Amino acid sequence: MRLGTVIGTVTLGKSVAGLRGARWLVASPFTREQFKAGAKTPVVSREPSVVVYDDLGGGAGQTIGFIEGREAAMPFDHPTPIDAINAALTDHIFYSPLK
Amino acid sequence: MLLARIEGNVVATRKHPSLEGWRLLICQPIGADGEPEGSPQVAIDSHGAGLHERVILSSDGAAARAAVGDPKSPARWMVVGIVDEPEKGASA
Repeated sequence: MRLGTVIGTVTLGKSVAGLRGARWLVASPFTREQFKAGAKTPVVSREPSVVVYDDLGGGAGQTIGFIEGREAAMPFDHPTPIDAINAALTDHIFYSPLK
Repeated sequence: MLLARIEGNVVATRKHPSLEGWRLLICQPIGADGEPEGSPQVAIDSHGAGLHERVILSSDGAAARAAVGDPKSPARWMVVGIVDEPEKGASA
């Protein structure tokens, strides 16, 4: 799971059958520098942003934990073409690097 | 599998139900020299890894699903072991 800032949402007009009505977030993944910057973190990182399936109700400005890869499709009953899912809405982040 | 150092943790009330009760640790992948490599990953942990301890992370989703006991969990990164550390003050 990586952390990221939600910088937007996506709405699909047409989609594969299994994904009708799904919520999508655009998340900008945290880099090490952003973890260090804490609350002063810039919203958009240099890492490529990710479109994330969302069933927790995340919104713009929130920090989410999203899981990437084959595992992201595991919660679905049918084979679903998803490789990133919102798995946590963060309340608090404690970060204290050694150096 | 990655060598990583624990640099913090995440608290999330709203999360996938399979992650309920699991510690979510911020793990910075490091090289053999301890220097950070890439961006931190958040992993589930049942071993009680402490702050700044070195751990081994596994990205095996099947093992993570077995660990959380939910075949439909999206869990992936997991702390699978804590690296033996030399005593404080000893040369590393």
